[in-house]
Amino acid sequence: MSDPVGKALDCSLSELVVERVGLGIFVVDRDMNVQMWNRFMHEHSGLSAQQVIGRSLFDSFPDLPREWLTRKVKSVFLLGSFAFSSWEQRPYLFRFEHDRPITGGVDHMQQNCTFMPLTRGREVVAVCVTIADATDVSIVQREREEALAKLREYANHDGLTGITNRRYFEAQLRDEFARWQRQGGELSILLFDLDHFKKINDEFGHVAGDAVLRTTAQRVSAVIRPGNTFGRFGGEEFALLLPGTTIDEAMLVAEKVRLTIGAEPVQVDGVRVPVTASCGVAAARAQNDDYVSLVNDVDAALYTAKQTGRNRTHIATTKPSLAQIIPAARPAP
Amino acid sequence: MSEPFFTETQRDALQEISNLAMGMAATGLSELLDAFIELSVPRVRSVAIGEAAQALREMTGLDGAVTAVRQSFRSGIKGEALVICRSGEIADLAVLARGPGGESPHETMSEIELVFDIANVVAGACVSSILDQLGATPVFSPPGLIGGGMSLDEVFRPDALTWDMALLIEVNFSLEDQNFRVHLVMLMAQESIRIVRDALDTLLGET
Repeated sequence: MSDPVGKALDCSLSELVVERVGLGIFVVDRDMNVQMWNRFMHEHSGLSAQQVIGRSLFDSFPDLPREWLTRKVKSVFLLGSFAFSSWEQRPYLFRFEHDRPITGGVDHMQQNCTFMPLTRGREVVAVCVTIADATDVSIVQREREEALAKLREYANHDGLTGITNRRYFEAQLRDEFARWQRQGGELSILLFDLDHFKKINDEFGHVAGDAVLRTTAQRVSAVIRPGNTFGRFGGEEFALLLPGTTIDEAMLVAEKVRLTIGAEPVQVDGVRVPVTASCGVAAARAQNDDYVSLVNDVDAALYTAKQTGRNRTHIATTKPSLAQIIPAARPAP
Repeated sequence: MSEPFFTETQRDALQEISNLAMGMAATGLSELLDAFIELSVPRVRSVAIGEAAQALREMTGLDGAVTAVRQSFRSGIKGEALVICRSGEIADLAVLARGPGGESPHETMSEIELVFDIANVVAGACVSSILDQLGATPVFSPPGLIGGGMSLDEVFRPDALTWDMALLIEVNFSLEDQNFRVHLVMLMAQESIRIVRDALDTLLGET
């Protein structure tokens, strides 16, 4: 009577397959009473076929999303078509352990569920639900997303200093400038440059030069607002984007940044390297047709700061536009 | 070159079957969603590959950004169902996913799950219903996103298609007192068209 082979022969092959397959399979009727429950479901849920069959699924598993699941099953009965649930939107239906306790990193088995109509003639008599373990796929996908995020991070950042690179800075500037053009308000930009950086490299070596660039980036990062885009613009040139900031406020920020950079010499292998910076400040104004012209303004201001002795901040001068000059230059006839 | 696959009798029969099937699908959807569904008259066209995108535009009348979901169905007759709606109207679809008690699904469903759910229900109801009329019982694949906020032309990329001719059946529906409109396009390629034709002949022979 307990002869396993004899018992096996009593079952159809398809029953044996359903029992052994690595897929959760169960059947519910219109009232969500369980009609069939395979071994996968037993092993993962801890409840055997005898325990769940004939009872409402929600009695055995009160944690299931009742409204959602009822509606899925109802749609299959009503429409005679399939319904689905993917781990990407709903990580799991049943709280099952997955078989990757060591390499997992996800809390429960990630599941793809299919709800199939079982029909006799044209009538749907029951709904079969299959639960496929998608944990492996989900982990691969998560790793890929993390790698992509890292790549994106690398693509936007400067390798030496870790701050935003020029490409990303310019993209941010372009967006902020466009917003300023649409909405008005204030938009300022700082451009600063380490003084006599070539001399630092020559005198103390390139390793020291790199350390000075890294320290400068760290010192400035520590004193600016966290949301402000701060980037390495060129060799020893840095830029700071200040949306919603007037030119006077930007001037204060520039002085804070300049004084922070020069506050004390940078220590490199016991050597003290004195550092100062020159800074240009500009604010977007009506004459700026595009962000490039704003960069030109701030670049000119930085040039003036350099020309007038370095270790200082200069504000871009508001030159009158040609339209304003020409009528004045021509005496009225 | 128009309608090269079907005789006039067959085409009329297919239109008739589509009308009947979509009516039944709408009845099921109405009951599921507990709302009155307004359904368009189904449009049936067979098109060459080069005309597919244009046909899709004409049949749906959609321009601007759309969100499209696809789903395969398979039986003797196989093909794909596309469910397309205006991207801006997706938030409105939430009313379609109300639970049996009319509660809002927002706490429990993300936007993409909502779109998949609606697409699956619409595609499932319509495709099952038409294939049932033709004597076929389909198996469906899970819904997949073709894209959100894309143009309709991007839905069919001619270079990626492997068929020469296809049968398109378009139907769209809206809910009473709602602005949005959901379009379903059922697409069947060559070899399935032959099976559809045989099924039509069988049906025509019976009557």
